[in-house]
Amino acid sequence: MESGGDRKGISSFELSPEGLYQNSLWAGQKMRFPFRRVFTRETMVNLLFILPSVVLVGYFVYVLIGWNVVVSVSNWKGLTPSYNFVGFGQYVTLFHDPEFIKSLTNNIILILLFVPTSLGLGLLLAILLDSKVRGEGVFRSIYLLPFSLSFVITATLWAWMYNPDVGVINTLLKAIGLGFLQSGWTTDPSIALYCVILAIIWQFSGYTMLIFLAGIKSIPESQIMAAEVDGATGFNLYRRVVIPQLRTSTLSAFVVLMIFALKVFDFIYVLTGGGPAADATYVVPLKMFIETFLRTNFAYGAAIATILFLIVLAIVVPYLYFFIWGEKD
Amino acid sequence: MGGKGLRFPKPRRIILYVLLIVFVFLFLLPLWTDFTTSFKSIHDIIYTVPVELPLSPTIEPLITAFNLMERPLLNSLTFTVVAMIFSCLLGSINGYILTKIKFRGSNTVFLLFAIGVFIPYQAVLVPLVLTISQLGLYNTLGGLILTHTAYGITITTLLFRNFYGLLPDSLIMAAKVDGAGTWTIYRRIILPLSLLPFVVAAVFQFTSIWNDFLFGVTLARGSEAMPASVALANLKGTTAFNYNVQMAGALWYALPVLIIYLVLGKYLIRGYMAGAIKG
Repeated sequence: MESGGDRKGISSFELSPEGLYQNSLWAGQKMRFPFRRVFTRETMVNLLFILPSVVLVGYFVYVLIGWNVVVSVSNWKGLTPSYNFVGFGQYVTLFHDPEFIKSLTNNIILILLFVPTSLGLGLLLAILLDSKVRGEGVFRSIYLLPFSLSFVITATLWAWMYNPDVGVINTLLKAIGLGFLQSGWTTDPSIALYCVILAIIWQFSGYTMLIFLAGIKSIPESQIMAAEVDGATGFNLYRRVVIPQLRTSTLSAFVVLMIFALKVFDFIYVLTGGGPAADATYVVPLKMFIETFLRTNFAYGAAIATILFLIVLAIVVPYLYFFIWGEKD
Repeated sequence: MGGKGLRFPKPRRIILYVLLIVFVFLFLLPLWTDFTTSFKSIHDIIYTVPVELPLSPTIEPLITAFNLMERPLLNSLTFTVVAMIFSCLLGSINGYILTKIKFRGSNTVFLLFAIGVFIPYQAVLVPLVLTISQLGLYNTLGGLILTHTAYGITITTLLFRNFYGLLPDSLIMAAKVDGAGTWTIYRRIILPLSLLPFVVAAVFQFTSIWNDFLFGVTLARGSEAMPASVALANLKGTTAFNYNVQMAGALWYALPVLIIYLVLGKYLIRGYMAGAIKG
């Protein structure tokens, strides 16, 4: 577009977009007004900077999501891709598939237990740590440690915890004389799901604690003092002054926990593989993985993935909208 | 440390510390038994309770586990470091353009990136495997680097954007008046001020790429590029190895993250705070 590529020419152009056109091929040409405004050289240069990222994210996130939807309405089964359009049959089949219903039910139970408990435990830990505790930093680091570890590690650890024969929990119970509480844990279909939930609460509570702790610390000291002058103390102070101001922290933690609960996969895959009793700990993402990569029902797996995506989107978009365009707060 | 309320009277403070210490035990129990079991022989596993220290400590399980996981650990280290560098550099440039240069639609671009942070990867998995295979990158470190870079950009952009948003615009204005271009401003002004966000983003990216399992198990199951996460899951899945070897394997795989957590923990926390989420 421009003939002189030297520094000076470029920067003088940046100061006045019109400047360039006088020295360039475009000089004297009458261009359509808005086109010239929008596609100034500066804009093009800026776009060039983020182009690699836009291409990568555009392709790997958006094109692939679209492609996945296309797969979900095809008849692709088995190892060779096939894109014959068969409509939304996969989606209808899903809701008559007992294994999918079981996965969905388990996922809902998991959300209902995991999300509020992690929020509550995190808040409790944050309140305890905010009480002028000696060694606050050490406690905080210990509670947050599980969150930093890979789910494959924590699943391996909890498999050892729950092992019915030689595992940590059963041998410990026996050693302290509570042998009657011993159980099959993850090998018992009636409680395996709750064992999974307990372990992920263990892994995530430190994270919610961190979010709440930051929220508590951002409340101005003067407000606390004022409330104390009014006679609010201890837990009353928290209930009346602190907790009502943690709305943003609660929302952030809630969204993060919800999304994790919806895409929980690694941990369950490694800990129980979906078992015992065939499907006791099936959740939606696990069902998706098994259908797709173990049973090669690609279209069916893609349909499950699409449903999962839509649910997550319904939570994330309002949240991001709130944070990106409501940032004035 | 700026604690707000709950100025417990004395007897209640004792309850407070008892509670905190009980939680310490609960949070550390699985990690402690991992540690003790990694140093136990088969004999000690049978004759001691898992929480007990070994009768006669041995590093045999650690050696066995390391021999099994050496290649995967090296694979993980390679693709994690490279993808971490790429995603941080690109995220920094994006953060700069989206906060300091801004153009029509820059908020929309940012929203599209931010949604990418939260999407469940299941929603791209089938076409992703096809794409990586068609590029000839299935079972290669290159495939993992490309994938982790692409999805990593979304979160690093968010991190750098948050940070650069705090830099005053006047900084850039002055340079612009002096005739500096977009790239010059980035290199001379923005980059030298970016040590902190680079550390935060690098630490965050390292741990999340290192911890990944889903991409590893779908894109690199063969030994050529198998990540340590997949190797550990395989180790756990085979009954051929006893618990001491599994626990030792977990310890090896956890080691780099534990070191980062101990040395650079406060930066990792800043990453977590930025609305970040584990893949």
